[in-house]
Amino acid sequence: MTMSPFDHEPDEELGRMLREQLTGPAPEAFLRRLRGSIVDSARGNEWDVLAVWARPRVMAVAVAAGFLLWLGAWMASTDRPADQGVTMASLPAHTMVLPRVSGQDEFVNAVLDGR
Amino acid sequence: MEDAELAQAAARGDPDAFGHLVDRHGLAARRAARAILRDEDDADDAVQEGMLAAWRAIERYDPARPFRPWLMRIVVNAALDARRRSRVRQAEPMAESLESSGLGPDRMAEAALLRGKIDAGLATLPERQRVALVLFDAEGWGHADIAEALGVPEGTVRSYVFHARRAMRKALGSLAEGMK
Repeated sequence: MTMSPFDHEPDEELGRMLREQLTGPAPEAFLRRLRGSIVDSARGNEWDVLAVWARPRVMAVAVAAGFLLWLGAWMASTDRPADQGVTMASLPAHTMVLPRVSGQDEFVNAVLDGR
Repeated sequence: MEDAELAQAAARGDPDAFGHLVDRHGLAARRAARAILRDEDDADDAVQEGMLAAWRAIERYDPARPFRPWLMRIVVNAALDARRRSRVRQAEPMAESLESSGLGPDRMAEAALLRGKIDAGLATLPERQRVALVLFDAEGWGHADIAEALGVPEGTVRSYVFHARRAMRKALGSLAEGMK
């Protein structure tokens, strides 16, 4: 061991002692754990990427489904009364008024009053 | 395959490529982290945190520059952060083995004594000096790479190594002279 602070070359003896001191137990297992954490992180990232990719598409599908539901409901509501409404609207106004039976109001009032 | 090529493959999303880089540099990172933290579990956690940070940031690595200091800088910063977080508890992992080793003539006792002295020597050094000493003498790195890993000028690294060696010589005392 040279241990000279001015030496510009690594001190092999001090280096060996430091490696023995600092390498720690089970170096292979340690490296295996590190690699495993990287792989786990990579898998996590894939799911994150998938989630980021899926989010706007789920929103788009939801919007499209909502639009289709609204369109279906609108078409269903416009199909049925369309002809009838047009026919009724095209009739002269006097045909829309029911014929009035004379004395009807007096009769109804008498029934309601219990007379 | 060179580090930069593996790093580029990792940047394209290949975790196995980064795994090769972990195999190459994981133990050096562990030694640097243990030199900073002087606690096995904290050091391993810091290395893992640093490696994951490097994996996530691998797209920002410039292949024109050396990979090793780039990675080590991230790990060293993770260890320094962990050191700041656990500043309240000063780990002295070798104190017990030093006391229990006794002064017997057998090899185990001598080794334990030596470990205790090295640990005591490292304990007297600031964190960055410890890392500079470990990277220079234990890992054989050049001053330029250490400077890049620590984010300091090369002259500062020379100063770190100078002071660290002087402190270690003092800590090892007769053991250093005897092994010369």
